[in-house]
Amino acid sequence: MYCGVDLGSRNVKVALMDEEGRLEFFKFDTVAFYREHGRLEEGQLAVDLSALLPAGTKPRVVVSTGYGRQTVALKGARVIPEIKAHVLGAVHLTGLSDFTLLDLGGQDSKVALVRGGRLIDFQTNDKCAASTGRYLENMAAVLNISLDELSRHHQNPVDLSSTCAIFGETELIGKVLEGHPIGSLAAGVNYTIFKRIRAMLLRLFSDTLVFTGGVAQNAALREILAKELGVRVVVPDHPQYTGAVGCCVEAKLGSEK
Amino acid sequence: MKSRRVGITTTVPVEVIYAAGCIPVDLNNVFITDPNPGGLVEEAELAGYPRNVCAWIKGLYSTALRHRDIRTLVAVTQGDCSNTHALMETLELIGVEVIPFAYPFDRDRDLLALQIEKLMDRFGVDWAAVNGARERLDQIRRKVWEIDRLTWQENLVSGWDNHLYQVNCSDFKGDPDAFEREVDEFLARLKGAGPRREKIRLAYIGVPPIMDDLYDYLEERGARVVYNETQRQFTLPFETEDLVERYRLYSYPYGIFYRLEDIVREVERRRVHGVIHYAQSFCFRQIEDLIVRQRLRLPILTLEGDKPNRLDARTRMRLDAFIEMLQ
Repeated sequence: MYCGVDLGSRNVKVALMDEEGRLEFFKFDTVAFYREHGRLEEGQLAVDLSALLPAGTKPRVVVSTGYGRQTVALKGARVIPEIKAHVLGAVHLTGLSDFTLLDLGGQDSKVALVRGGRLIDFQTNDKCAASTGRYLENMAAVLNISLDELSRHHQNPVDLSSTCAIFGETELIGKVLEGHPIGSLAAGVNYTIFKRIRAMLLRLFSDTLVFTGGVAQNAALREILAKELGVRVVVPDHPQYTGAVGCCVEAKLGSEK
Repeated sequence: MKSRRVGITTTVPVEVIYAAGCIPVDLNNVFITDPNPGGLVEEAELAGYPRNVCAWIKGLYSTALRHRDIRTLVAVTQGDCSNTHALMETLELIGVEVIPFAYPFDRDRDLLALQIEKLMDRFGVDWAAVNGARERLDQIRRKVWEIDRLTWQENLVSGWDNHLYQVNCSDFKGDPDAFEREVDEFLARLKGAGPRREKIRLAYIGVPPIMDDLYDYLEERGARVVYNETQRQFTLPFETEDLVERYRLYSYPYGIFYRLEDIVREVERRRVHGVIHYAQSFCFRQIEDLIVRQRLRLPILTLEGDKPNRLDARTRMRLDAFIEMLQ
């Protein structure tokens, strides 16, 4: 049994992989995870995984990744860079080896170019989270609709700027005042995400785009990416666990060496 | 009588300042080695500097304000940052005498000679004195070139030390004799040292980083900077006794294409695996990244630095991925 832990900004994702490659997933709120299950021991985060995972779970190797690892290293785990974890996970989950990876998480946007199953170039968002899950949650709250509803619309988008996740809310309220239908407002929000990541995607272009992270569950954005870029968009099952799966892959590879 | 201290905003022909018996003070170095450089940036913002302006300029402003014994400033008005114009103006407002110095965009020899001669007029020195100063400073520069050679050819020097000794050649820390002793001691310590073991060789191009833990962070992960582009340029690594030619060969203040000639030559010679292109937040040089990426046939990581003095979490994540990618 191999265990991969992705310490994200919003959620901690855990994947368990058995010797046959079967996967199981678990998700915890990040702050609750740190507060309730973690304690600092010599500068490292000690977490009793056995208390969190099903009884009898005894991982041979734990590999972790994620933003959280910059502040705390998970005790007893080997740490790998986030982009590596996502590439390993995407290759494993899709069976593809040549593609552009787009990972949109809670705060981060990452674009990576993968050739022959290896990372050869990457870009990440600048100091703004206007193309991520947190931004979508905020905008859905402004429109008073669910994230599911928000992700249904890509037709007749209203024009919104894409420079700031927070000022975007005020701009959206202005559009509400102008009387646009909810579908156009939602489509406008989804388009801002595309506008912010378009340049990165074009710089690291492939015919196939593997789309991971929680935001990959947004169907409208998948449509927009396919239509605007003319690419095949592949979303693995459970896209938000890609990093955690990549950690399992690394754990397995490491112990086979 | 104590010698007059003259501030500089980047590398200028310091031979002129030394020839006049004055002490050049690179405000960048004073700013970044302050115990609280972030506080200096904030002070400039409180004085009215915009938030979205490079932190170096803000740091220089507050540093000049703090060191009121520096009443004269040689400011590079062309060939460095155009924000320097406003920096000069805001410092003039508080009574600092500003001497402008412009590197001609097209590296025109006559224009450059004229600029150096005008600087000499302002300091009241002749060519004999300037060349005398050059010979003295060149003795030290040659020793720093040796530190650079030992970095990439013998693998004896860390990226930080390579950065530090070269970057200090902008003003020789205001005391060439003391700086030379430091260099000598460092070189002596290297004798008998074993070669460093980092497998990945990196080039660092762009202005010096505003964060000082970059080199250590890379080395902890098995990668070492063996070429610091701009810092090396600050040592004027050109074997010519002609001072004008020296500053014409100096690549930093001229266009990116001329700088790239040096970069291409050095990354090849130093067998570099990957390039870190550093650009300061809000700097025009960020635009030039697209040219760098088209012209260099090596993996490139573009880093953006904003505030002093430590790497932020995002930058560390990007460095991790880049090093991993090069392995």
